[in-house]
Amino acid sequence: MNTEEPKPIVVRNLVKKFSGQVVLDGLNFQVNKGEILVIMGGSGCGKSTLLRLLIGAMRPTSGSIEMLGADLTLLDEAGLDALRKKTGILFQSGALFNSMTVGENIALPLKEHTKLSADVINIMVKMKLEMVGLRDFEHLKPAELSGGMKKRVGLARAMALDPRIMFYDEPSAGLDPVASAMIDELMMDLNKKTGVTSIVVTHDMGSAFKIAHRMILLFRGRAVAVGTPAEIRASADPLVRQFVNGLADGPIPLRVSQKDYAEDLLEPFLERF
Amino acid sequence: MERTAGELGARFYSGLRYIGGMAWLLADALSFIFVAPFDRRRLRVRSAPVFEQMVRVGFSSLGIVCLVQLFIGVVIALQLANLLKTFGISEYVGSVVGLGIFRELGPLMTAMVMAGYAGAAMSAELGTMAVSEELEALRALAISPVRYLVVPRFIAAAVMIPCVTMVGNFVGVLGGMGIAWGVLHISPALFTQKMLETLVTSDVVVGIFKSWFFAQLIVLIACFEGLRVDSGAEGVGRAATRSVVFSIVMIISADCLFAAVFRLLLGR
Amino acid sequence: MQVTTELLENTKLGRAALIAAAGEVDMHESPRLRSALLEAIALRPAAVVVDLSAVTFIDSSGVATLVEAMKLAKAAGVALVLAGMTENVADVFALARLDKFFRLAASRGEALGV
Repeated sequence: MNTEEPKPIVVRNLVKKFSGQVVLDGLNFQVNKGEILVIMGGSGCGKSTLLRLLIGAMRPTSGSIEMLGADLTLLDEAGLDALRKKTGILFQSGALFNSMTVGENIALPLKEHTKLSADVINIMVKMKLEMVGLRDFEHLKPAELSGGMKKRVGLARAMALDPRIMFYDEPSAGLDPVASAMIDELMMDLNKKTGVTSIVVTHDMGSAFKIAHRMILLFRGRAVAVGTPAEIRASADPLVRQFVNGLADGPIPLRVSQKDYAEDLLEPFLERF
Repeated sequence: MERTAGELGARFYSGLRYIGGMAWLLADALSFIFVAPFDRRRLRVRSAPVFEQMVRVGFSSLGIVCLVQLFIGVVIALQLANLLKTFGISEYVGSVVGLGIFRELGPLMTAMVMAGYAGAAMSAELGTMAVSEELEALRALAISPVRYLVVPRFIAAAVMIPCVTMVGNFVGVLGGMGIAWGVLHISPALFTQKMLETLVTSDVVVGIFKSWFFAQLIVLIACFEGLRVDSGAEGVGRAATRSVVFSIVMIISADCLFAAVFRLLLGR
Repeated sequence: MQVTTELLENTKLGRAALIAAAGEVDMHESPRLRSALLEAIALRPAAVVVDLSAVTFIDSSGVATLVEAMKLAKAAGVALVLAGMTENVADVFALARLDKFFRLAASRGEALGV
């Protein structure tokens, strides 16, 4: 890796609080150019919040996010838009525009942000669809597609402007094993061929270990483990072991209530007397 | 007591935030209409979605607006028929129907129909997009939902609702004219003559202005309600209902205000 | 991106238009490449040779622009040759699975036979 070239994403001391509740607690990490970084964690660990911060849909309480040389937290809406054109995101549901055909979905960012002619845009739409193997589906509406296909079209749309960074939000959520394997394959393929830096947020361990170059395990808003899949697998940390092996109880408690059970049940009675 | 005061304070505060949010949306939409065309760094509003919305707002609602207005004309003429006859001034039925429809009931009833017809559809549509992550997807593609979704609806309604109102007004007058002929035996010629004697240009202009203003209210409320939906099908339904109810309340309040203001300004 | 067009007589391919592009062909620049290509094809030479040896970066809009030119050239009976692609550029064509779609030459010299 060229050391002179700045890292595409550098996150420093990132904190996000929602009405006093700390969701991200001083997060630090970097993403190298062209790598696939997988961010794992259980529900409520702050990974969706992290993703929303990274795409500029939300502002952090403190800390900085440097992306492609600009500090995301200091940008205004126009600056964020300039950055958004260089990044793509695959939403959990695909988030296709239901009123448009597949082809129109992919053409939209091109029509809005470039001065390319209609013919060139048409050719690009076909190229992007060929990339995800759905060239025959250009004229269908999203409602006519399966969940896996929607995600593949979403991927093609996210890649429309040739982004330099791709974000994936739970790419295997709601898909059958075959469709999910296809998405994994596509993510790796795109990363290899276009060198697009990829950040994948997931709780699917199988997929995570398959696609990751490096991975981060989030727990209660902190990065508890960072490393290559081999390093994570070999980790002796009980928290990592619990998560990787999918055990119900361990350092991540099965019951999350802070109050004592008996106390909780008796409390209203105590108050009345 | 303390609790009620607190609740009242909270309600007042949320009411302020609601109005503030709507003002913000309006400012944003206006900046795309009036500022962006002169700023080279900003994306412009495209004409294709505006035309699409014009068709949806204007043409598809024309039938129902005409039907409602026809009945309004009929009802005014029927209700007044006996009264006018008693005083022996049946020939003035044209004046009453014309003034009532052009100045007051035409814009008002059309706006009501539009609040239910176009307003509810807009908030449900935007609300569905919000729920299915489509709005977030637009933002992630650096496309402002206000520019891409709200502004075309804004322009389309501002142009089409006054047009639909005018068409409806004529249909309403025709309805009144029919009753005048059939029940009061006033010929269409006399009806028209009396109507034109009473109506002045300002009546028609005030009617169009009101209709334009109501259109802005409908779209602003509908889009605001739609964009802020955050939870499921239930949220979409609630947004549609709220947008219709708020629109109707706001339209009538504004109409009342206009009646007072124009009376002061124009003396009629 | 810089684009220059020159018209050459008596090449191996006959009368040929040589378009030399240099720099980055991205979403904002490819409309200029497109107009250069359309003008060249409108001259009705026997062939249009696009020298890509100085192109450091091309994105999918650049590739799509060349595909469109290929389509128009075919319709006009003009041969379109891409010359001197660097490895970087060739990768983008391969990604779009279009590397077999074009007539390629190692350099403009090879394409024109001069």
